[in-house]
Order: sequence, then structure tokens, then C-alpha cells
Amino acid sequence: MMYEGVVVGVAVLLLGLAVVAGPWWPRVWLGLTLAGAAAAVGAAVVVLVTGNEWEWRSGFLIGGEGLHVRLDGLSGLFVVLAAGVGAAGAVYSLGYWAERQYPASAARSRTWWSGMVASMLLVVTLSNGLHFLIAWEAFAVCGYFLITLEGEKPAVRAAGWLYLAASHAGTVCLFAFFGLLAAKSGGWELGPMRGDASLAPMFWLALAGFGMKAGLFPLHIWLPSAHANAPSHVSALMSGVAIKMGVYGIVRFSGWLPLPAAAGWVVIGLGAVSALLGIAFALAQNDFKRLLAYCSVENVGIIMIGVGASMLARGHGDAPWGRLALAGALLHVWNHGAFKALLFFGAGSVLHATGTREMSRLGGLWQRMPWTAGLFALGAVAVAGLPPLNGFVSEWLIYLGLIDAVAGKQASALAAMPAAIFLAMAGALALATFAKAGATMFLGAARTKPAAQAHECGNWMLVPMVTLAGICLGLGLAPVLVWPALERAADVWHAGCFASVVVPLVTLGWVQLGLAGLMATAGTMLWRKVRANNLRRGPTWDCGYAAPSARMQYTSGSFGGLAAAWFGWILRPQRMLRRVRGHFPAEAIRLDRVPETMLELVIQPLAERVMQLSTAVRRLQHGHLSVYILYVVAALAALTGLVLLENVP
Amino acid sequence: MNSILDLILRLDCWLLLAPLLPGIINKVKAWVAGRRGPPVLQLYYDLARLWKKGVVMSTLASPAFVILPAVTWVALLSAAMLMPLGPLGAGLTFRGDALLWLYLLALGRFCTAWAAMETGSAFEGMGTVREVSYAVLAEAALIAAVLTLSVQSGSISWVTMLGPPMGAGAALLAAGLFIVLLSENCRVPFDDPNTHLELTMIHEAMVLDHSGPPLAAILHGASMKLLLFTVLLVQAVLPMSQLKPLAAGAVLACGVLGVTVAVGLVESLLARFAFRRVPLLLTTAFLLCLFALLVAWKGGLA
Amino acid sequence: MNHAHLNLLIGLAMGLNLLALGTSRLPLLIRAMSAQGVILGVMPTLMERPDWRVLLVAAATIGGKGLFIPGMLRRAMRTVQIDRELEPLIGFVPSILLGAGGTIAALALTPMLPLLPEHANSLLVPGALATVLTGLILLIGRTKAISQACGYLILENGIYLFGLLLIQAMPLMVEAGVLLDLTVGVFILGIIVDRIQRAFDSLDTRKLTALHE
Repeated sequence: MMYEGVVVGVAVLLLGLAVVAGPWWPRVWLGLTLAGAAAAVGAAVVVLVTGNEWEWRSGFLIGGEGLHVRLDGLSGLFVVLAAGVGAAGAVYSLGYWAERQYPASAARSRTWWSGMVASMLLVVTLSNGLHFLIAWEAFAVCGYFLITLEGEKPAVRAAGWLYLAASHAGTVCLFAFFGLLAAKSGGWELGPMRGDASLAPMFWLALAGFGMKAGLFPLHIWLPSAHANAPSHVSALMSGVAIKMGVYGIVRFSGWLPLPAAAGWVVIGLGAVSALLGIAFALAQNDFKRLLAYCSVENVGIIMIGVGASMLARGHGDAPWGRLALAGALLHVWNHGAFKALLFFGAGSVLHATGTREMSRLGGLWQRMPWTAGLFALGAVAVAGLPPLNGFVSEWLIYLGLIDAVAGKQASALAAMPAAIFLAMAGALALATFAKAGATMFLGAARTKPAAQAHECGNWMLVPMVTLAGICLGLGLAPVLVWPALERAADVWHAGCFASVVVPLVTLGWVQLGLAGLMATAGTMLWRKVRANNLRRGPTWDCGYAAPSARMQYTSGSFGGLAAAWFGWILRPQRMLRRVRGHFPAEAIRLDRVPETMLELVIQPLAERVMQLSTAVRRLQHGHLSVYILYVVAALAALTGLVLLENVP
Repeated sequence: MNSILDLILRLDCWLLLAPLLPGIINKVKAWVAGRRGPPVLQLYYDLARLWKKGVVMSTLASPAFVILPAVTWVALLSAAMLMPLGPLGAGLTFRGDALLWLYLLALGRFCTAWAAMETGSAFEGMGTVREVSYAVLAEAALIAAVLTLSVQSGSISWVTMLGPPMGAGAALLAAGLFIVLLSENCRVPFDDPNTHLELTMIHEAMVLDHSGPPLAAILHGASMKLLLFTVLLVQAVLPMSQLKPLAAGAVLACGVLGVTVAVGLVESLLARFAFRRVPLLLTTAFLLCLFALLVAWKGGLA
Repeated sequence: MNHAHLNLLIGLAMGLNLLALGTSRLPLLIRAMSAQGVILGVMPTLMERPDWRVLLVAAATIGGKGLFIPGMLRRAMRTVQIDRELEPLIGFVPSILLGAGGTIAALALTPMLPLLPEHANSLLVPGALATVLTGLILLIGRTKAISQACGYLILENGIYLFGLLLIQAMPLMVEAGVLLDLTVGVFILGIIVDRIQRAFDSLDTRKLTALHE
């Protein structure tokens, strides 16, 4: 029993050493980080396979509270995610954020990286409210320093600042949440406390705090700019893992606390809205890293649909479909970690090779960087939830849960029905989004010189990408292998109450395997047939136009325009247009920009109003002592008046 | 032994019969217009001819340009294996196969779109954008139809979903699915398969640069998709499980023929819609399926 | 009472609501409205044993809503030669989604209303609510005077559906009165449409704001 605990301890210790070693010895740092991650994954896998929870209370006091560590199925799931992506990103960063190119920040990158991975491991294993908050804060701060590695750029500083502000707005809610929880339950110790019904309203605080970190729709304002402006390995960690800490919080505390009656409805609703609007925003982006960032909002939404459905099931006599939805959501946590990290790594290698994040300045990259193109395409198939990759498996599980809920014809069907429809639309939009991203970046002709002169990334960057792609494929072809782990995590969430469900995952796995095999065979056969029939190369069909140029290709804006126009009511695209006029026209311009609606059109105007108000109030504060005394006298007079008035019968 | 025979029969059914449908549609159109029209078997001749031809590939395209049509074709064939054929049942059935079916079609769409964008042609970009965008609304309608059928039958596998009688919602569902059929297969009024203007095409614009065997795979895949949707429409609406096997087979065949003729008639009598009207029509299809869902749900409650 | 048939008819009327919201052509809008009028006219004969009073009402409704008023509108449309494309203030897709959402909400909310038990299974009340809502959306979301008149008429169809709830209790006078009001209204509208057309060369009600002085 102690074994897992020792291993986790070793993992954190190794990562701690990596923090120290980071600035000076990159290879040593990498070794320590990988070893730490491997130890953490090992411990979590043991817990997930055997189902033995590991819990350790120590007399060692931090802040007057005894240390309490718990590694159960749910923590184990997130430990694997954090350590896995952490390790992959560590390898990637040696090539991407190399000492040669970024002498100023490479050392910092390594240190904060290990710190962030270690603090996330602590977040998911600590079981004391106070220590949880400390680890949470450490994790948020590490994230800030990682985002602002290129702090000399104003956009990066602004993004980092916004991240920090939003993160702390969430942390305020969490302080309130844990503080109230400690006050009501009489201690900072965390654990199942479902018996005390008076704790139910606290869930809303947790939802706000963790939802901010997870990037649920109205709270996602910090996410696009932070993920887009951070270095790509950091974006991968932020998007693949850090936002999952919010998911962890919601899942964990919805399992431990009694739930208010409306919780499932609110969470599934937020999830459905996040899924649809997140991907609609993604479709309208022209910056490929922003696109990936908004896509994270969508995927968190999908996860929340599953989690919300399982909450609903808990309110409906523990209906078995809740288990399906929850298992799907938890699997999607892993899946999204794998394919989003892969996509951000791919984006990073494109950025590394061309120096631009504008999709419409790229094109034709597959010729120069075939590996990146192929791996990005694989990630795109996975993120669009298409068979035979892993994204499909988790969405399939969530769908099964939702459709069983609808077929059950209880009240929860009214939530599950729209959620399923939103999920399907989000899936189709994701397909459009990634067809657009892949096509404008990698296919066709190069639109600019940097794109024509791109180069393939090195092995440091390629190896983690290939590994992650392998994981995407493996999870897609053999989902049955991870099912016990998911069941274990679901059992932790709601101990043993869900009836067991039979899922034909074995069949699905074989079908996916067969599909993959058939597709490979058919593709090869057709290629051979074409070669045998005589393959010639010629120009693209241009409808007789004499001088086609690369500028005539469909760009990212024109690709997304049609479907994005349907969401114009929320996207609020801004356009600058100067048409071609006259016989000797001047330069024509068309600029499209999709603002972050919630931030720029809701929160900023509101903040400006508050600022105006406070500026007006500040006039009272001018430094003339005599007037201050006048205030005191006026206040006294007012108070006296009040007291007198009260005494008047 | 029996299952191998079944598989061969089923493959024959899908692979050999599918190209008949576009032929019938063209014949109906010719008949309405008072022409003789191409022979019903025209697509078979085309496929045979294309299979033997060489391929011209754009200098910009990667090998995926040739490989992806094969992937699309496999995806559609696998989707066909999941679709029950009246008394024959499905080639493979498990819980949740309807969702796999939906996503296999999506996979086909993704691969077609990717292959289309390989060449960097603006026309193909145009077609791709339309295809993937309209699919968003069609997907909503399809999932609503799937939900309807699963509410009706309490199951999420085609074989049991496509059995029970639909009741009052059948008409709504039929209309909704018919519109989706037209849209997903790029028929009039969404797309004009016979047009010669790239600007107004969807599917045809996407496959402009393909030639030889890959084009044959695309054309054959498209005809399988059409058959897939007609079979779905017929079985979703008619109470197949209440018929004797032979009668069910006959009803299915007649139904497929009827839907195909209806597609041909629609193409003869309607003009292609302006593209800005397309979302409205697809929204209507979605609402039809949604109301069918509500009818099924209400019917179950009462 | 013949619930199944009645509900089928109300379902059809609800479908016509959505058609009215989704169409971009004025003649189709008028046709949808008149078809709805005919359907509404048939309904009393299904609800009551058809004696002469019921038949009279049915005939009057079919004649008025189904033939006469649409005929008047068509004539107005022809005489002033207006453009047959509708110009929406609320787009067609949003208005049809609004209408569908309203219909679903009406279906969902009706069980919460204190209704007589014999009306519990009927679609009358949700149908009436949905039709009233459709009329309102048309009134708000379309600019032409004739399409607004159609909005009014669909609104009135909704009120008529409500009235059917009371068909046993209420003398048919009220319905007759409403119908009469409407007929007069359409007469006046026909005249006004002509006047507006002459004064402004357009039937866009937005231009009526120019009258404020």
C-alpha cells in the first residue's frame, strides 16, 4: 500500500530537483523531469489498475494543518494526464525553446515548467483545503511566468496580465468556497461530505472558481489570448492540462458535496453552450493558435456535457446512463490532453518554421514539413471526433449517455435532447474548423515567402508529437484497455451507486481497428493502381484563367465566413473594407477581425464604466486637510441626524 | 460459412446496386423533359472507363490527394455495412452503431474536403466551404432524426431503431430526412449535379481536379451515400418489423425506387435555390425532425 | 370529441405557422394564412355535433378567413403592384427558430396552466399560444403593410383557437363579432394600402415615420 505513496513522493521530489537543476543543466533537467513524470504515471497507473486508493495523513504541519495526500482513481486519471503532457512538453521544449534561440528565457522556461507540473500533481492529490489553495496558487503563478516568457512583447504582457487577473478572480471564489467549507464542516480536511445537505449551495462557488480556470463559456475571456501568446509548448500544457485542473475541481467537488437540484441542468447547459459557441469562435479565427485556444473552450464544453449529464443521472435515482456520460467525459479529458497537445506542438513547429501565426500567410507547408503536416492532420481528425481515432470514442460514450437519457423519457431528457443536438452541431463545426486550419496551413500553394522557405522541425520536437499521435491512435483502437480505469474513476466520483453498464467497447475497438486497416489497405491499393495506370503531374484546374496566383486560394477568412456568419450575432465580426474603385484604383483593403466578444464588448465596457465612476469619486480625495475635516463633521452630523430621527417616535 | 455468404451478398447489394440510383434519377429527369436520356447503367460504364484511365495530379497535391478518396469510399462502405437491409438485418450491429454511422459519414466528408483543398484551387475551396458549412445544419437534423428513432424504439442501434411503426411523426420525419437526403447528396435544390458553372456547385466543385480511379472511387462512394440515405429514409418511416421478410424486402425495394423517382421529380420540377436560401431549408428540415422527436416523445408519455 | 383528428388539424395549423414565418414570398404567406383559416373553419364541426349553428360558423369562417380576406389581400397586392419579396426585419431563419422555440415552449408550458381536464390532452391551448406568437413575430418582424395584415390575421386565428375552448359555453356571437371587425379592418387596410402606395410609392411601414410632423 505504501508503495504508490513513496513513488508519488519520489515524483514530486524529482520534479523539485528539476526546478533547481533547470537553469543550468538542460539534459539533467530533462532526465529529472522525465523520471519524475514516469514515477507519477507509474503510481497513478497502479492505482487505476488495482483500484487500491492510497491515502496518507502526516503529523507534519504546514500552516497549522496536517498534510493529507490522497491518490484515488479520479486523481490518478489527472496525474497521468499532467505527468504525460508534462513529459512530452519537456522534451519538445528542448527543441522549441532552445538555449541558442532564447538565451534569456530558456532557463526560466525549464524551471517554471517543472514547477508547474509538480504543483498540478499536488493540486490533484492534496486533500486539505488550505494546502489545495496553496498548490492551486503556485500552479497559477507558474502558469503566469510560463505565459510571459517573452515578456518583452506587449501582447504577451497583456495576455499574461489578463490571465493573472482572471485566474485570481477565480481564486477569490475558491477562497470563499474553501473558507466557508472549513467553517461549516469544522476543518480544512477534504473528503466525501455528501450527508450534510446544507453544503449544497457551496457548489455554485466551486463552479464559478473552477469554471473560470476551465474556460467555460462566459468565463473563458482570458483563455484565447493566453494560449495564443504563450510559447507553444506552454500553450500545450495550458490547454491540455491546466484547464483540466478546473475540470478536476468541478468533478471532484460535485462528487464530494451534496448537489443543489439545479446543478446538473446548469452544468450541462453551460457545457452545451461552451461547446457550440467555443467552436463557432474557433471557426472564425485567423490566428491558428487562437483557433486552437477556442477549440479548447469547445472541448471543455463537451466534457461538461458529460459531467452535467452524470449529475442529472444522480438526481434520477442513479440511472446507469450517468456512468456512460461520466466515463465519456473523463476519457475526453485524456483525449483532449493528447490531441490538443499534439496540435499545439504542430502549431509550434509551424510557428518555429515560418514565424507567423496568421493562417492566411501560410499554405503548401506539407511539401517542406511533411511530418508536421501528417501529424497535424491526424490531430485534426482526432479533435473533430472522427473514427477511428480517440476523439470519437469519448464523444460516442457521451452520446450514448445522452441518448439513453432521452430514451428514458424522464425530465432529464429535456436537458439531454438539446445537449445531444448541440454536441452534433459542435462536432460538424469542429470538422469545418479543422478542415479550414489544416487546409489553409498545409495544403495548396505557399502564399508568402516564409511559408515557401519553411523547414521541418528537429527530432526533439518530432518525437513527442509522434508519441502523442501514437497515444491518440492507441486510445482510439483499443479503448477497452482504459475502460477499467474510467470505471474506477467513476466509482470514486459516486461510490458504487451507478449500476454497472455494458458498453460494447470491445466491438467498437475491433471495428475501429478494422476500419483503420481497411482504410490503409484501400489507400495503398488505390495509390498502386494509380501508379500502374500512369500518373502525370499537371497544373491545378484554373477554369482557363491565364495567370493564377497563390493569393487566389481560399484563405482562412473566406473558408470560415459562411458558417461564421450564422453566428454573427455573437461573434460581432469587425470589418475594414476599401473597395477597388475607379480606372486607376488605389490599394484595396479588406481586414476582418473577430473580437473576443465577452471581453471586448461586455467586460471592458463595464470596467470602463466602473473606472469612470471611480474617477468621479476620486475627486473627493484631493489632499486639502481642512476639507477632510469638513467630511468628518458632515459625517458626524449625518449620523447624529440619523440617531435623532430614529428616536423620534 | 453462412456469415461469409451473407457478407458477400450484402457487399454485392451495396456495391453493385448503388450506381443504379443516379441512373434512375437521370432517366426520370429525361422522361419528364421528354428526352431519351442516358442509359440507366451509364454510371457503370463511366466507372469502368475511369478505372482504366491514367491520373493527372496537381503539382501542388500530396499523395493524400489519391489516397483520401479511397478512405472516403471505405468510410461509406463501412457505414453501409452498419445499415440494415430490411429482412437481411445489418452486417454488423452493436449498441451505438447509429452514432458510428453518423461519424463515418463525417469522416468521409472530412477526407473529401481535405483532398479537395490539396490542389489550392479557389473553386474547390468554394465547394468545400459550402459542403462543410451546410453539413452543420444537416448534422443537427440527422441527430434529431436519430433521437426520434431511438425514443420510438428505446434503442440506439439501427436494427432495432428501424423496426417499429412511427405513428404520426412519420410524415414529419420523412419530410425532414428527405430534405437532408437532398442536401447531403448535393441534389437540387441545394446543388445542381448537371451544372457546368463551378461557381454554383458544391460537390462537383470539390472533385474538379480528380481523375481516373480516384474519381471512380468518389463517384461510386457518392452513389453509395445516396443509396444509404434512401434506405434509411424508407426504413425509418415504414414499419418494417411488422412485415414478413419477403414482403419487407419488396417494400424496401419499392420504397427505395420510389424515393429515387421522387428525387428525380424534384430535380425536374425545382430549380436550384440561391445559396442564401439554403440555411432556411436546412433549418426547416431540422425543425421537421425536431417536431417528429417531440411527437415521438409525447406519444411515449401519453 | 374527436381528439386525434382535431389534434392533427391543430398540428397542421402549427406547421402553417412555421411556413408563414419561413417564407420569403408574399403570395405564399397569404396562401398559408388562408389554408390556416380553412383548417380552423373545419374544426368546430369536429368538436360539436354539427347542428346548423356550428355549420354556419364553420362556413362563415372558411368563407371569411379562407377565401374572402385572402382574396382581398391578393387583390390589394395586385392593384398596387408591390414587390412580392418580403423584407424581413427579423431574418427568416431567426424568425422560424423563434416560432419553433415558442411552439415548443407553449407545448411545455400548457400542462402548468389550470385547464379543464377534458382539454388536458388537446393541442388547442398550445396551438393557440403558438399561433398568437407567430402573429406577433410577423407583426414585429416584417415591414410591408400587407404582411403585417397577415400577421394580424394569424394573431386572430390564435384567438379563435382559444375561443374554441369555450365553444359549448360561449355564444358564437363573439367569434362572429371578431370576424366582422377583421373584415372591416381588411377593407380599411385595402384602402389605406392604396393610399400609402400613392403617397410614398412604397408599402414599407418604416417610411410612415416620415409622417410625424
